[in-house]
Amino acid sequence: MSKPASSPSPARVSKVRRTRAAEQSGVHYPRWFWPAFASPAIAWLLVFFLLPLYTVLSIAFGTVDPIFRTPLPVWQPWWWTTSHVVEGLDKTFGLFQQVYLRTFWYVLLASAVCLVLGYAVAYYVARHGGRRKTLLLVLLVSPLWISYLMRMLAWVNLLDREGYVNRILTFLHVVPQPVGWLEGRGITVILGLVYGYIPYMILPLYAFLDRIEGSLLESGRDLGADPVSTFVRVTLPLSRPAILAGLVIVSLPMFGDYFTNTMLSGSPSTTMIGNLIDDSINTAGQGPEAAVLILILMIMLLIPIGYYLRSTARAAEAR
Amino acid sequence: MTGSITDRRAVVTRAPTPRLGRLRSWWSNPWRKPRLLEAVTWAYLAWSILPIFVAVLISFNQGRSNSSIQGLGLNWWWGDPSSSLFRDPELHAAIFQSLRLSVATMVVTVPLGVAFALGLDRWHGRGSGTANFVMLLSFVMPEIVLGVAMFLVVVHVLAFLNLGTVAQVVGLVTYQLSYPVIIVRARLLSVGKEYEEAAMDLGAPPRQAIRRVLLPLLYPAILASFTVVFADSLDDFVTVRYLSGPANSEPLSVKIYNFSRGSPTPAINAAATFLLFATTIVVVLGYLGYRYTQRGERREDMTALTGL
Amino acid sequence: MRRSAGAAVALPSLSAILAACTRPGETRTPEQIDLLVPRPDRPVTLPMTGEPIATDTPIESGAELQIFNWVDYVWKAIVRRFVEENSEHDISFSAVTTFNNMEEAVSKMQAGEIEADVFFPTIDAVPKLAVAGLLQPLNHELIPNLEENVWSVYQNPYYDQQWRYTVPYTVYTTGISYRRDVISDSQIYGMANPWEILWDPAHRDRVGVYDSYRDTIQTALLKGGITDINTGDQGDLDLATDELLSMLDLVNPRATINGSYKRLPQGEFDLHLSWSGDIAAGWGYVPEYTRDYYENLGYWFPEDRVGPVDNDCIAIPANAPHPRLAHEFINFLLDFQNAMDNFSWVGYQPPMNDAQPALLTEAEGLYSQISGWAEPAEYVLPWMESAVVRQSDFDVGYRQAPLSPEADERWNDVWQQFKAGVKTGE
Repeated sequence: MSKPASSPSPARVSKVRRTRAAEQSGVHYPRWFWPAFASPAIAWLLVFFLLPLYTVLSIAFGTVDPIFRTPLPVWQPWWWTTSHVVEGLDKTFGLFQQVYLRTFWYVLLASAVCLVLGYAVAYYVARHGGRRKTLLLVLLVSPLWISYLMRMLAWVNLLDREGYVNRILTFLHVVPQPVGWLEGRGITVILGLVYGYIPYMILPLYAFLDRIEGSLLESGRDLGADPVSTFVRVTLPLSRPAILAGLVIVSLPMFGDYFTNTMLSGSPSTTMIGNLIDDSINTAGQGPEAAVLILILMIMLLIPIGYYLRSTARAAEAR
Repeated sequence: MTGSITDRRAVVTRAPTPRLGRLRSWWSNPWRKPRLLEAVTWAYLAWSILPIFVAVLISFNQGRSNSSIQGLGLNWWWGDPSSSLFRDPELHAAIFQSLRLSVATMVVTVPLGVAFALGLDRWHGRGSGTANFVMLLSFVMPEIVLGVAMFLVVVHVLAFLNLGTVAQVVGLVTYQLSYPVIIVRARLLSVGKEYEEAAMDLGAPPRQAIRRVLLPLLYPAILASFTVVFADSLDDFVTVRYLSGPANSEPLSVKIYNFSRGSPTPAINAAATFLLFATTIVVVLGYLGYRYTQRGERREDMTALTGL
Repeated sequence: MRRSAGAAVALPSLSAILAACTRPGETRTPEQIDLLVPRPDRPVTLPMTGEPIATDTPIESGAELQIFNWVDYVWKAIVRRFVEENSEHDISFSAVTTFNNMEEAVSKMQAGEIEADVFFPTIDAVPKLAVAGLLQPLNHELIPNLEENVWSVYQNPYYDQQWRYTVPYTVYTTGISYRRDVISDSQIYGMANPWEILWDPAHRDRVGVYDSYRDTIQTALLKGGITDINTGDQGDLDLATDELLSMLDLVNPRATINGSYKRLPQGEFDLHLSWSGDIAAGWGYVPEYTRDYYENLGYWFPEDRVGPVDNDCIAIPANAPHPRLAHEFINFLLDFQNAMDNFSWVGYQPPMNDAQPALLTEAEGLYSQISGWAEPAEYVLPWMESAVVRQSDFDVGYRQAPLSPEADERWNDVWQQFKAGVKTGE
């Protein structure tokens, strides 16, 4: 939503200069004005976001009550014990290595499917929606209005051995016998992840593709390129920021997902990082371990998060 | 001699073979209809929406099965004397809790978030970068991190706060805070500072300039924020599950999860369908309000809702 | 980043301020540790952490009964009957606060996050909670039904001598439930070591275990021939770990809570580790409620009755909002008819003197009687007679007792390896 890029008139330029000077000297708004607006939220985040993160640290570096095995947070960094952290790191590359690798793999596959499928759908609705665009948009967004868990539960019922999916598949002779979708298969979990998170890929992509100047894309067509070439050489490079944003929004939560696996599989052979955390949080004596798992998760995701934050900041500056 | 030039032209312009030529010309036609994309889109929509239909349909199941339809009826809506939606106090409590949480979250998050957006956008001093960073960090953090961290805080630090509705609202607000910020900031970018400054040049004090000039301009974004936060917290699962206390603080999402590990009946589908209606109404109202506040303006598309 | 981290340290709680001068961590005396690990041959009398409520306390008026229990472990119709019988006191009830496993329950109670009137612990949680002062002593005069109706051994159980804090709720054995249309009775009963059937690759993807570390690891121990199901020995537990990891390779099991009573009858499992009460209730979850479908459900338990046998308890938390009502409810549940009616829905047998084990496979329970949409079912279907629990079973069977903290930690480690899906031979 940018303003038309026209060269400003002299009067407008001097007004802008005057206003900027006035702003810098605080004529219109006092200097504390805008920070005051932000301060309630900052206070909130301080207490309910940063403090909890510090609590996680304190528990990870803390101890455990020897009898009741409840976690005892240690607030002073100079009394932190590193045994749980060391043990956690040890397990990351040892006992839990398969879980981490498996989670990466699932998230990678699920995000890739979300991207390809989501892009196709977003592209179609944005550029070829025509009169049905609003209807399509409503249909796209509507799954977000019903409880996510209800949709998952519906899938659990559909994927049952006697459920409708198997009935249709055997009827069409796609498979000779009913498939045990829910019997601890990775593919079911991956498809479940795709199902749950793909709307969050489609919406940003749609938003972006909807705003692209049609003339940019049509230029390719005007010059005679077939649709595929136009796509590959014009649209795709342009959509890079939106693709990255969508990938971040979709893949980051997937790393922490545990209920998709619990509902659609329940087998230890499809355990994800989220399941490790969820299992340890309520196990006596494993409070610090849960905290360490959380810390490791955060650190793992710091790189993509950092990348996303920097590119958002850069994009904001460019505006 | 007589037909030589025409012969050469005929050679040059003849297509390779009829079939391949048609295929190639179809492929390179820049204006061809995207049939494949269209098919994919409709297939996706069917895959996406079918379970919703099934879930709603099963709520009208006559029998007790959650997976196959055994006749249709209102058994699970108000027929069954103990387990139907109308009669089961547990489901009532769950629905009310879901609504209570989303309304409370919405009411706290949006004002906090709008103020935060204004502050972040206009504040160029020290600390604004940090505040912005922390806000974005809370946006990209996986929910399990926030949920577990809040759980640990409530249990070990903020002892006066018990697990239950208040803790759940606090967790939800923290998780949702970044949404209004992002949506409102997107809108702020297109609004710009001219209107307020014009008002202040004409003598209005800063507070009035904001209240009477800036805020009305932001109404579409504010409304979008309300809707997004409401819909998102209605459905929230990870945070509210860790922060639930007694049974009546468990919203419908947690109940569905618990029941799925026990023995669900179609009554839970009825409860979810009921909430679906509630959400649809809210979203429709939100959209109508959005259109209303946008009247007379250059029509912004709904991409502002996504704010990205 | 550094700036905001610095700001975040600034909010300690009062306890943290107090703890700032001392190193955190508590120590307990050896006597207390002994209290926490009772054994049938080492019974324990839990210390009184308070006074029971007075006998003449009136029933709290207008109270809403708060129950803290497993999912689907008490019949709501029975609770509603209780509410009706006490309608003069304006009692109400809405829902059971549930937990998925005992650890979650204990940790929530320890954190003071639960305010329940009645709580249904397993034996291993009782000493821990009593010593910590989280349970209140019972007033025996308000619960006369225990001495009248219940097996007399429960007036002095090993884990709570003189029944200071608990009454028994249900008795059960732990065996294997199976689908009789896939595995015949003679096949499983004919095996030398039937526990091994859970490792049989012929049933790959169709095997289930409980999402409960005590029960599943104990199964691996029994399969490996170790009979001390409360062992803390690292060698034993290493064997159990190997067995469980090989189970993952061989059959790809799934860990569930409702696998035996709901999903096996529905056809999602062919075999499931099972408590006797789960499969006894399984008839209520088959796709079609006919005897043919009921006959598909089977239960195996060692014929010499040398296997895991146990009971669950009912207790009153120390912070119960309505303790008098709680006592009334417990007495209500120990009434013979109420207990049997609850049994007909829950599937778990109450230790009632008047419940003749022989008749349980012949009599039809209340739930079956009122379920017009289902063909009649006995309390325990006749072909799973091994699911009936007799008092004599406790003389020969193995009992699951509380573990010492060190042993518990080792058990949790084994469980973690299993749940992480680590494959051997990598």
